[in-house]
Amino acid sequence: MSNTRVSRRQFLNYTLMGVGGFMASGMLMPMIRFAVDPVLEAGAAGDYIPTSQKVSELTEEPVRVDFTYDQVDGWYESEVTGTAWVYKEGDKVVALSPVCKHLGCTVNWGGDSAHPNQFFCPCHAGRYEKNGQNVPGTPPIGPLDEFDVKIEDDLLYLGATKPNTLI
Amino acid sequence: MNWTANDIDLYMQQQEYIDTALIPLVHIGGGGAMKQSASSAEFLLNLSAFIERQFKGRVVLFPPFSYTDGNDRERLAAEWGSSVSDMPFRHVFYLTTDPSWSREGIIEDAIWIPSIPLESMDKKLKQSVLEDQVRQIIPVLTSKWASE
Repeated sequence: MSNTRVSRRQFLNYTLMGVGGFMASGMLMPMIRFAVDPVLEAGAAGDYIPTSQKVSELTEEPVRVDFTYDQVDGWYESEVTGTAWVYKEGDKVVALSPVCKHLGCTVNWGGDSAHPNQFFCPCHAGRYEKNGQNVPGTPPIGPLDEFDVKIEDDLLYLGATKPNTLI
Repeated sequence: MNWTANDIDLYMQQQEYIDTALIPLVHIGGGGAMKQSASSAEFLLNLSAFIERQFKGRVVLFPPFSYTDGNDRERLAAEWGSSVSDMPFRHVFYLTTDPSWSREGIIEDAIWIPSIPLESMDKKLKQSVLEDQVRQIIPVLTSKWASE
């Protein structure tokens, strides 16, 4: 076993490089993992709230969709029911927030018999078109907000509200 | 609006629009009436929170006013009436599940709604029951608003 003689110097070199390599990788691996972690993270899908509304049953007529979620405010934990007005525009599903842009009442579709194809706010007779555009001359100062919408297995999921993008 | 600092701030700025006070009257019963009283209070508070959400921009929901059998109701009503009339509300609604207020004519226009026990209902049913009740109350409010 003598044709590959390992000198003392070589042996020490290899050993030190091996041990040093382990230590370096032990330090570097977590750093690299931290650096690339934001890329690997799945999109914030948890923010979507499931509803029981089937997308195939939606029409061009807005319908009310209720959903519930937990809300913690200080020590007061409550289950909040939210509402959205949902309809189809072509193939696109539109979900509008029912919160009036005037002072926050809840608007209803066709709530005013004189204007059956508008959203109506019973507090101060504010009105909105079907796409959420506020009718000039009524108290609201802006269009209704819109929900982010996701469809999974024909069920509707609602995300965060955002300013109206239909107008 | 709720009786919270943020909402009252908004109320201060928008007094011309927010002109209605809603005061739930909650009866606190003792002894055997305890459960019944708790159940009606639960119903009434759920209902008034619902109304608040529906009419957030016009109604200030007061913290529930609770009283017991020992309280002199006529005096309470008179004191509340005069304090609230000093506030800049054009309409004041009292909401209660206790029929004695309007029956005995202590507060003539107190809105009385029969209490429905919610404790054994599931969420969906609870919500639809409350919705039905609110639908009964809405015309009372809107007709009062329209009559000014």
